[in-house]
Amino acid sequence: MKKILVVLVLLTALVGTAFAGGNQEGVKDSGVRPTLELLQNKPEIDAALKTYAKAWGEANGVDVVIKTVGGSVDVTVDQMLTVGYAAGDLPDVFVFPGVDDYKKWSEVILDVSDQKWVKDTAVEFVYDGKVYGFPVAVEGWGMAYNAEILKAAGVDPASLVNLSAYKAAFEKMDSMKAELGLDSVVSMAASISMSWVTAHHNFNSLLSNGLPYGDLSVVNGLLAGKVDMDRLEQYAEWVGLLFKYADQAVLTTGDYDAQVGAFASGKAVFLHQGNWADGNIEGAGATFKRAFAPHGSMNAATDGIFVAAPAYYAINKDSKVIDFAKQFLNDLVYTDDGHNYMVKEAGMIPAYSTVKLSPTSPLSQSVQKWAADGKVYSWSQYYFSEDFRNNTLGPIYNQFAGGNINETQFVAALKGAFEGLK
Amino acid sequence: MNKGKHDPIFWLFLAPAIIAFLMVIIIPFLMGIFYSLTDWTSRPQPGGLQFVGLKNFIESIQDPSFLYSFLLTFVYTFINMLLINIVAFGLALLVTAKLKFKNIYRAGFFLPNLVGGLILGYIWQFIFNIVIPNLPVLSTIYPAIAEPANLMLANRNSAVMAIVIAGSWQYSGYIMMIYIAAILSVPEELFEAAKIDGASPFKKLLHITIPMTAQAFTITLFLTLVQSFKQFDVNVSLTGGGPSTQFMGKFMRGTELLALDIYNTAFTSNSLAQSQARSVLFFVVLVVISLIQVRQNKRKEIEL
Amino acid sequence: MKEIKRSSTIVTEIITAFIFLIFLFPIFIVILNAGKDPFSITSNPLSLPKDWFQVFRNMKIIWLDPNLRYGSSFFASIIVTVFSLLLIVLVSGQAAWVLVRTKTKLSQFIFFLFVAAMVIPFQIVMLPLVSWFRIVAKATGFQLLRTYSGMILSYVGFGLSLSLFMFHGFIKGIPYELEEAATIDGCAKWQIFYRIIFPLLKPITATVLVLNGIWIWNDYLLPLLILGKGNKIQTVPLAVANYAGAYVKQWDLILTAVLLAMIPVIILFLFLQRYIIKGMVSGSIK
Repeated sequence: MKKILVVLVLLTALVGTAFAGGNQEGVKDSGVRPTLELLQNKPEIDAALKTYAKAWGEANGVDVVIKTVGGSVDVTVDQMLTVGYAAGDLPDVFVFPGVDDYKKWSEVILDVSDQKWVKDTAVEFVYDGKVYGFPVAVEGWGMAYNAEILKAAGVDPASLVNLSAYKAAFEKMDSMKAELGLDSVVSMAASISMSWVTAHHNFNSLLSNGLPYGDLSVVNGLLAGKVDMDRLEQYAEWVGLLFKYADQAVLTTGDYDAQVGAFASGKAVFLHQGNWADGNIEGAGATFKRAFAPHGSMNAATDGIFVAAPAYYAINKDSKVIDFAKQFLNDLVYTDDGHNYMVKEAGMIPAYSTVKLSPTSPLSQSVQKWAADGKVYSWSQYYFSEDFRNNTLGPIYNQFAGGNINETQFVAALKGAFEGLK
Repeated sequence: MNKGKHDPIFWLFLAPAIIAFLMVIIIPFLMGIFYSLTDWTSRPQPGGLQFVGLKNFIESIQDPSFLYSFLLTFVYTFINMLLINIVAFGLALLVTAKLKFKNIYRAGFFLPNLVGGLILGYIWQFIFNIVIPNLPVLSTIYPAIAEPANLMLANRNSAVMAIVIAGSWQYSGYIMMIYIAAILSVPEELFEAAKIDGASPFKKLLHITIPMTAQAFTITLFLTLVQSFKQFDVNVSLTGGGPSTQFMGKFMRGTELLALDIYNTAFTSNSLAQSQARSVLFFVVLVVISLIQVRQNKRKEIEL
Repeated sequence: MKEIKRSSTIVTEIITAFIFLIFLFPIFIVILNAGKDPFSITSNPLSLPKDWFQVFRNMKIIWLDPNLRYGSSFFASIIVTVFSLLLIVLVSGQAAWVLVRTKTKLSQFIFFLFVAAMVIPFQIVMLPLVSWFRIVAKATGFQLLRTYSGMILSYVGFGLSLSLFMFHGFIKGIPYELEEAATIDGCAKWQIFYRIIFPLLKPITATVLVLNGIWIWNDYLLPLLILGKGNKIQTVPLAVANYAGAYVKQWDLILTAVLLAMIPVIILFLFLQRYIIKGMVSGSIK
């Protein structure tokens, strides 16, 4: 009994100190150094960003707190903001992917049209003629290919421009699988958790492939419930082709690791991902030459890949450190340290003409090359709500991938989904 | 002590519990019900909070994917309750027998409880996707196991079973503890008497163990019912709601249980008020079912 | 006759041992793979690790990762778990006692309310709880969000129902004469509980400790809401989610982190195991 008493007293003492400490820690610093909080969604650049932010904060007398969320089942930025809003604790700078999310948070996003960097980028986020988003980087995707296996199979990547060319190439390589050491031709993922690959990225082929940059004709048509059946059918054939030549285990149950892993280990020739996969491919020890080819979602030849800013930093209008936030973003564009962080440390393709450095990884270089040649198509998937993409489209792709519906039914299901948007 | 009077000590001793209960459960619960009748978003709302009546409730019950989640949760709960209780009772019988290492077994069966739900889902995803197809013993006896189409998580029905397996693995050790307790509390004399009568082990089980532990079933069934109905963590990390299925002409996630549906309604579909309405409906159904279950069991207990 | 009996015991032993091994297979997989590099984990999950000490190096990596702050997360988890448990036991124990010993309609009703709250889905209170805590902070200045106090209060609230229910069942079985004798000896009423009843509650207290301890130690969603991600105070599950949440699952680190997180609860369990069954006997089934 005595022992218990001693323990109790000790614990009470501890609880006192813990509470005192906890309360101080919990409230944002009201004292000397202000805090700038940034919420972002790229786990792969988390470490680099934290290092840069710490140094920048030291130099400018601010504590920069970087919060990173992201991933397939983790909380998302939007969820963090929703909970944060309920708690009355929104970050000073946060990331948003596009127009649908802009609308959710437009009430707290600051108009940054007057900022210097606006004239040095081509991909800022504009809504109703005003600038609201600072592009984090430029990213791109197409069909990433393993140049060495293509060469061994005698397929010229430059020929991969439309449905029939891809079909012929896939068939040819499928028959040579044993010889080339392949499990499958394509590495594709279509499980429900990977809807971001199908219903976000792949879906964009339907929306913008072959169209001038920024052309929203298909998007607006679909949003109004008008479906171009010819375009949709060609697209469905493309999806069918990708699914048919994919490793079925990866396709139906694989995660990002499994998908990228198959490509990195040379078990698949093509990877349906973007240049962000480079770090993971290198991490798996791959050294082969690789680059992007266009998507073959149409009978007509398309000569370009999908390139845009994947996300934008928004400044919280109610932030107490707006000037610091503006300066933080400006310094990324106009200081050598900022350039070095974006390109060398984080491995991103810069979105600003002031940055003269180039990333060294092969897929990023390929994106830069396509962009330099002006052969780029838009990212238009964010004109559709996350709800529509994840809850309506995702399951349709998944049904098709699992073989539960055929191509005709897939077309009908997509058509029905778009007609429901009216 | 004064039976039937509320002296100061009564309120004094009860006060901390009531305060915590009000602060954490009751007030947020009432707020939640209130929000379900509004267009609340937990995002900046220029127009302020509007009262919308039963709109959220009506829209919810008209949504096929909500109805599907409801049905699926019933099916899941039924299978899960059955499996957990059978496994747990079986294990309890084994480890109350005169075994050499029974304490180690008990601890071992309880161990999965110590792994958090999210992590547990990842571990099982790893097992279903990677370990099972590569298991040397299995793949020689039954090579089809490694075929992509036969992966547990590739088909809707087997993926639901996968959640059942992972959920039962986690929870049956806990329920086993309650059964152990119940079995140990059966008077030894009853078994002695049965032995003298020459009763078979099966007869003993049927006529002594089960009737004498009947009251444990009320609590275990209640706990497993609530636990299965509220399943969330394992659902999120093991299947994420996939693979998809078709229901009432709509395509939707095939293994999305109610709790996950509510969570997704709140966050992906951007309709927090409707997710509140769904959880109110969820609550009402859960109350009705648990009342029926507890009442039924109490009646059975008396009969036995 | 004896022979048959002995062999049947051996058969039972073998069966149980076999089931035991199958049951622990997933845990075995965790231990086996915690010390491998990620690539060999996914390509060959059943192979033995090349280097058994890798798991300790992984532990070191986890411990030193500045983003994870495992040390401080571990400390925060300990604080939250210990104080939540302490308060749950005291608050629900004393409440259960007065509810058992005062036999009125009101006391029955209060008890019923507490138990009925077990069926409230977490989703219904999830976001309102955050809004409510914010309102409290605005009105009184008492910060409940992002603080230990708010976290612990939440656990006491959510843990009450089941704990009160178990204590209630157990106390019903304690003969009332004990308390009468104490009253005659001149014990004040509050002393009766802390001097006489509370020490008798050991077995059920152990059960309540373990059940709540497991849940609090592993909980993810509630700390996410109350403490937030990436703030000063973060618990172990929030920290581990940094590995599991990224697109790339660093299996070696996830599995090592799982091992690290499991150890304290296993120790607690082994310590209290002998009480738990006793507690279950008298507590939960009455």
